Formats: sequence, C-alpha cells, structure tokens
Amino acid sequence: MPDSDPLLLTPKMDPIIQSVLAGPALLRQLTDGLGSPLNIVLPEALDANVAAFRAVYRQHRLRGQIYFAHKANRSSALLRHLATTDAGVDVASLGELQHALGAGFGPGRIMATGPKNREFLWLAARSGSTVNADSLDELSELAGLVAAGRLPRVRVMVRLAEFASRGVHMVSRRSRFGVPAGLLPEALDRIDKHADQLELAGVAYHLDTIGVAEKAIALEGCLAALDECRRRDAPAWSIDIGGGFGVNYLDDGEQWERYTSELAQAVLGRRPPLTWNGHGYGLRNEAGTLRGALGLYPAHRPVSGPGYLSQLLAATAPEQRRPLGTLLLDSMTDLDIEPGRALLDQCGLVLARVLEVRDGPDTLVRLEMNSRDVSLEEHGVLMDPIVIPQDSAGFAGPAEVFLLGNLCLESDLITRRKVVLPVRPRPGDLLAFVNTAGYFMDFSATRALHQPIGRKVALFRTGGRWSWCLDEQYWPVPERAEAA
Amino acid sequence: MRYDDMTEAIGNTPLVRIDPDVHGLRNIDLYAKMELLNPFGSLKDRAAWQMARPLLAGAAERGDTVVELSSGNTAKALAMIAGMHGLRFKSVTNRMKVPEVKDLLLLLGAEIDELPGQAECLDPSDTEDPLSRMHRTLTSNGSGYVHTDQYFNERNVEAHLHGTGPEIIKDLDGHAPDYFIACVGTAGSSTGVARALRQHDPDVRVIGLVAAKSDFIPGIRTIDEVHEVGLFEPDVYDSIETITADDAIDGLLTLVRRCGTPAGPTGGGAFHGAVRHLRTLDDSLTERRTAVFIVCDRVESYLSYLRERRPALFGRPPRRNDTRLLDEAEVAAAPTIDVEEAQRWPGLVVDLRSPYAFQALHIDGSINIVDELFAELLHGGLPFSRRQPVLLVCPVGEKSARYAALLTRMGHPSVRSLAGGVIAWRDAGARLVRD
Ligand SMILES: Cc1ncc(COP(=O)(O)O)c(C=O)c1O
Ligand SMILES: Cc1ncc(COP(=O)(O)O)c(C=O)c1O
Repeated sequence: MPDSDPLLLTPKMDPIIQSVLAGPALLRQLTDGLGSPLNIVLPEALDANVAAFRAVYRQHRLRGQIYFAHKANRSSALLRHLATTDAGVDVASLGELQHALGAGFGPGRIMATGPKNREFLWLAARSGSTVNADSLDELSELAGLVAAGRLPRVRVMVRLAEFASRGVHMVSRRSRFGVPAGLLPEALDRIDKHADQLELAGVAYHLDTIGVAEKAIALEGCLAALDECRRRDAPAWSIDIGGGFGVNYLDDGEQWERYTSELAQAVLGRRPPLTWNGHGYGLRNEAGTLRGALGLYPAHRPVSGPGYLSQLLAATAPEQRRPLGTLLLDSMTDLDIEPGRALLDQCGLVLARVLEVRDGPDTLVRLEMNSRDVSLEEHGVLMDPIVIPQDSAGFAGPAEVFLLGNLCLESDLITRRKVVLPVRPRPGDLLAFVNTAGYFMDFSATRALHQPIGRKVALFRTGGRWSWCLDEQYWPVPERAEAA
Repeated sequence: MRYDDMTEAIGNTPLVRIDPDVHGLRNIDLYAKMELLNPFGSLKDRAAWQMARPLLAGAAERGDTVVELSSGNTAKALAMIAGMHGLRFKSVTNRMKVPEVKDLLLLLGAEIDELPGQAECLDPSDTEDPLSRMHRTLTSNGSGYVHTDQYFNERNVEAHLHGTGPEIIKDLDGHAPDYFIACVGTAGSSTGVARALRQHDPDVRVIGLVAAKSDFIPGIRTIDEVHEVGLFEPDVYDSIETITADDAIDGLLTLVRRCGTPAGPTGGGAFHGAVRHLRTLDDSLTERRTAVFIVCDRVESYLSYLRERRPALFGRPPRRNDTRLLDEAEVAAAPTIDVEEAQRWPGLVVDLRSPYAFQALHIDGSINIVDELFAELLHGGLPFSRRQPVLLVCPVGEKSARYAALLTRMGHPSVRSLAGGVIAWRDAGARLVRD
C-alpha cells in the first residue's frame, strides 16, 4: 500500500544555519548583487566541529593532530578561520599547499597527501611540511629532491593499503592509493637508505568506506606496522587514519526509512514513480524482484563525524581483542585524522533563484544554477532545499516538483528525485541548499555554456548581526582595540 | 534408527503442542514444528541438502568449492555437507553480525568472505554493487565454484514442499492446519510449506513474519529486504507482519523457560507473531482451530546477541575489589610519584598495557600484567606481598592511579602510580627498552 503522506527529507540544521535563514533580506540582497547561484560559507561553524573532534581525543586520552582535508572545499575563509584553531590541514595538490601556507598554517600543521608531482613534493619539502607518501617511488623521488637541494630532513608518513585480515576474509574495494602493507619492510629500507633526507613520523591509511570493521583491520594493521618500525629501531609515533567520518544530513530517521521503502516500491511498480523517468538510484526490477544496490549516501547517520571516530576507537581490535583506542594509548601512539566532510558539517549553503515554474503532468521548477553547482546528486545525498519566498502573500502548498538546472541539457536536473516543498515556489523566490560546504558547493562547478560559477561569500557575526564579505576578503583578524 | 550418514537424519522433526496455559488461546491448538532438531541444527539442513545433492557429482574430483551467500544456518549445514564430501565451503556475506556463528563456521572449516561497507565518497558511475560482482564471478564457467544460490534456487522451496509440509499434515492426522506462521529469510520454508498445505486445503491462512525496518533478527529479512529475495512471492502470504527484536526475544524466553524448547530468536519471533495474530481471532471463534509455527534453530548460537540486547538476563553479582567501586576522592588520593622518582624506584614495576605495546617498548626490568588480567587477579585478593613495593604503569597514569587506589584500599602500604604514565616517561626522555 503506497504511502500518501508527502515524502519529505528535511535537512538537519543547527542554530547557526537557522539563524542565517532567519534573515532573508540579507540573502536576497546578496543574490541580487552577486548573482545566482551564490555560495555561502560560515567560518565560525568550524569551531564547534573542531571542538567536538577534540572532545573525542580527550575522552580517549589521545594526542595527535586534526588535519582538515582541504579538498572538501576551496574556500579561503574556511581555511583562514581554521588557522585560528588548533587544527592542521591535509593538502592534496600544489595549489592546496600554497593556499594553506598563505592562510597562515605553519609547516608543522600541514600534511601533504595523495599522489604528488615533483613541484608539490619540492614545496612540501622546502616548507618543512609532513609528506604522506603514496608509493615507494614517491619516497625515493622526495629523497632525491631533498638531497639535490640540500634541504633539511623531511618528516614522512607511509600510506599503507591492502591490510590482511585473518579468520574472516574482509573483501575491500580496490584502491588506487598507498603501499601494500606487506611491502612495509621495503618502504622502511628506502627510508633507511635515505636517512639523511627522510625521517619516519608514522604510518597512515585512508579507506573510502563507511564500514567500521574494515577500518578496525586497517588501524590494527598500522599498529602492527609501527611495531615493525620499532623493532627496526626506527621509532615512529603517529598513525594517520585519514578521513571518512561522515555526516548526518537528515533531521529524522523515519523520513529516510519511509523514503527508501517507498522508492523500492516505486521501482517494483507498486506505486507511482518518485523520480524522473523512474530512475531507481541503483535499484532495478527483475521479474518482480528488487536487484542492485541503493546507490545513495545513507543520509540519516545518527553515528557520524566525531561520534564515528569514537565508535572506531571503542571497537575491539580483531586480533589483539582490546579497544583500538586503548591499544593506541598503550603503544604511546599519536592519532592523526583527516576529516573533510565531517569538519564542514553545517558550515555553508548554496542559494539559487527560481527562474520558472511550469505546470504540466509534473511541476517543473527551473533554477538559475545547474547540477554541477550543488553536486548533491552526484554524491548521492538526498535532502530538501528550503524555500525563501519573495514575499509572504498567500502561497499554496505543499508542492511536488522536479528541480531543473540552467544548462541546455536533458540530463541537467539538480536532483532526479521528485522534491516535496512545503510551499509552491514562484519565479524570483530563492531556494537554499543547506549543509553543502563539504564537497557539494562548487566542487565540480563548470563554465559550460558560459554559465557563471557562483560567487562565494563568508558570513560572520558582528555585534549580534550577520555581516558578509567575499570569500577571498575574509581574514580572521581581531578588531583593533580602542587606543587607551 | 540406524543410518549410513548424518544427512539421513535430516527431516521428520516432531510437531509439539504448546501448553494453552502458556499461549492463553482458548479456541486454537498451537503446535511448534521443531526444526531445531535437525542434525546440523536448523531447518536450513533440509534446503542445504536438497540444493547441494545434485551438485556433488564430480565436484570433489574437480576440487570445487561450494559457495553460498549466508550468514548462518545455511552456511553451517553446507559446511558440514561439504566436509562430508571432501569439498571446501566458502560463505560470502555482509550480514554476519553474530560472533558465535562466525566462530562456529571457522571451526567447521568454512572460509568467510566479508563484503565491504558502502563507499563514503559515492562513485555514481559505479552501478555494480559488490554482491552483483561476486555473483558474476561465481556463475562464470570453470570458476571452481559450486553455487547453491539459496535466494533463487527452487530446490530450496522443494525441500519444504516435499518434506516439512507433508510431515505437518501427517502429524495432524491428515489435516492441514488452519493457520501457518513462519519467519521469512529466503522464503524457501514458508513458500514450500504453504504450497504443500494449500494443495491439501486451499483455505489455509499463511502469515509471513519479517523484521521491522532497521531492526535486526538474525536469519530473517526486514520488510524492505524481502523484495530482494528471488523466491519471495507476495501472493504466498495472506499477510506479512513485522516483529521486532524485542518481540523475538520475549518469545524466545517463553519457549526456553516454559516450553522446554531451546529456540533461537526466529523461533521466538514466530511464537510471538503467531500468538499476537491469533489472539485477535480467538474470541470470535465458534469451533476449534489449529495453528502451526516453525522453530527454526537453537538458542546457543545467539548468546552474544541476547547479551547485547538484554544484559539484565545475564546479570551477575558484583565482584569484590573492583575499581568501579572506588569513589572519586579515593582515586584522587591515590599515591603517585613522578618520572624522576620512578627512575629510582627500588621495587617491582608492573606495566598494565597490552602485551604488544609492552614488548615493543617498556621500562627496563618491569613486568607486564595487562589491566584486564590484573583486574581478575585483584578480585581474588592481593597478588603480591604487602612488603613488596609496587609501581604501577599505564599509558597516561589514569588507570594505574585507580589500581593504586584499589590496592591501597585492599591494605597494600607501598603501592604507587606513575604520574603521567609511560607517555610522560617517554616525553621526559627516560629510557625505554625492548628485550
Ligand atoms: C587521503 C584522504 N584523506 C582525507 C579525505 C577526506 O575524507 P572525508 O571528507 O570523507 O572525511 C580524503 C577524501 O577523499 C582522502 O583521500
Ligand atoms: C534462524 C532462521 N530462522 C528463519 C529462517 C527463514 O527460513 P527461510 O530461509 O526458509 O525463509 C532462517 C533462514 O536462513 C534462519 O536462519
């Protein structure tokens, strides 16, 4: 029996985002002046997220660095604000490294990750950043650059992959990155060979999975690797467990469960489609049986971000049968993390203007933005936008609509999901896509068709009111003290 | 009864009446089909044997491996059958959440492949889930695998159509019951039994039970997941009802404590679901009716599942000399010494960290008693003489302070805790060794 209540997916909004949305005049002024789409970042929301991760460290009595995975957002304001906290930054390109140095991060707070070109390696070495080596050859290449330039020794981490599990064989997705854990002795040989150029700081992993069990195996594998280092008299004290702590996007788990149940029913043809052209988000109907797998981010995740880290640390190591956090502490190991998405929870939103509302078999709402400007769909995250009406004169609602983009392409839908809005939007209204700072803002924005890429502004509070500046104008400089 | 091998003991399980004082139904006789008495432990023995039998010829010579997506009973039965026929068995799963079952399978010689969790950064071009990919490898020719395919294999249904169902009719003196209630996993048992009963009497009412969404009852599907099962046909069931893990455990407790039936959670769930469904009809009945539910397997494999959900069932009396009984003032007053003084400590040094960490690096001359073992020892009393000075060491000096406080309370006069722990020791540049 199809469910007839509207299928809402209400985003989770902290007071800071609610407070921004409570001032529609400013939002309208900004989009009038700077155009649509408009990206808004909220640097001060970072403070609570850093503090929440720090609280997990304290709870588990652990030390170590929180490196923000810069790739999640290019914003300068966010990065510069982060420089005022005790967090560091994980940079994955030459450009990101330059950006981090320019935002005020000293080299002790920078971790260079991912596969690197020679320029990136050189600047990392020259500036004294830590290099998280992605391969054996990268270690040699780095050592060569350091020797040739007579640079000081560089602190290196070795990113490991393909950890062995015993008893139960854990099948993991194949990864392009890292040194197979079995090759650790070779990595240590190379570091030994270049002892004047390289200094081992520790080992690392980053796994693209939400599964705690896989990460528990990797973390225990890293502990074994550090043991091996110590056995070889190359004491190293850090394990960097990468990112992937996740975000809880939805307010209400019931909505998520109901939506996914109904989606399955729709795919099986037992209720009208919930999506453009009956798209199944990975599910398909084979002779009345549901096959495939739901290709959506689990948008309701009660345990995510700092909570997920805490869960991992409390998990029992499969071999040593002690909580991983306790084992880290026992072996005096510092824990480094690289959260991207989770550190940007609630740190921004994207605004778009409604251009047209067209009735027909379906109501189509065309926006002054395209699906690359807010890449929620690309990342499989489903949540409803918030309507900011132009004026409050009598609206009808709720309305079931499809959200279309401004590219002249059939495929340019903001989401293939039919969205239920509490009020029927009208041309000139704004839609706010909240909690989009991590990966969904302008991550893959494009100038295709000469459509503009959205401007980015930072909002900050001065004297209880919201002020704004362009993202690149934001500096977290304290106000001048009144001269005595 | 004399058999040539254990597979001959599969089936012919008893149908046992449940005491009306237990279920409280006045007009309905409720019977349990005791599938837990199958030799490998569950109703899945029937399906496993029925599916595996035709695949065995030549498999041992080819060195094939039997493979199945199973997180429990089917895997258990197939592992046993494979072992009897000189074959290897591999279970592929992402649902194996009960540690005892995992350990049992390893004990039986099974290999277990666990599928990965969802990607954190979704790749939209990756429309293939790991399960489909696995499926493809299994079915390609010459893969070396014999795949029993329980979710799609009609022989899973036939095992019950020709076995379980007719047995029920025979034991009810040639009558089909009025109601049949079963939990749905692969849907094999409920579909097969329903078919057999309806061939005999088309009016049999069939109730399928599934877990509530986001709940977990080992062995059966949730209300959403049943749609992924090839054998599942909605028309088989007059109604599909959900039970919660709590319902299942309540039912299990009734069966184990009052009915002499060591049932697992789905047996308990079927009992609970049956009584709940039948109670609404009981009052309006004017003649006697019969109902049958299935007890699928045994309770012993689910102790950790039960412990996690109902810790009170396992409540043990508190033990003496427990650090949890200390008050904060006692812990704060624990005698500590700093690194400098510790370097001159004349007595025993006990390191409470894990053996791996200890072996990697420790204070010279110290001994390692990991905190869990130390706690066990203290429940029994002081493990060293009162005249033996003892310095306790842990990572940051917190645990060692608690144990120092406890030992002090137990009357040890010269116990100390290293302030700041081994990390402070290292940070001060004091010597650490490995042997
Ligand atoms: C090496 C590394 N660290 C950290 C991250 C950040 O992951 P997340 O944003 O899921 O925390 C990524 C993401 O791709 C990564 O590749
Ligand atoms: C414990 C338990 N109960 C019930 C069932 C359901 O049986 P079927 O798969 O025939 O639907 C299973 C199946 O795996 C099971 O393991």
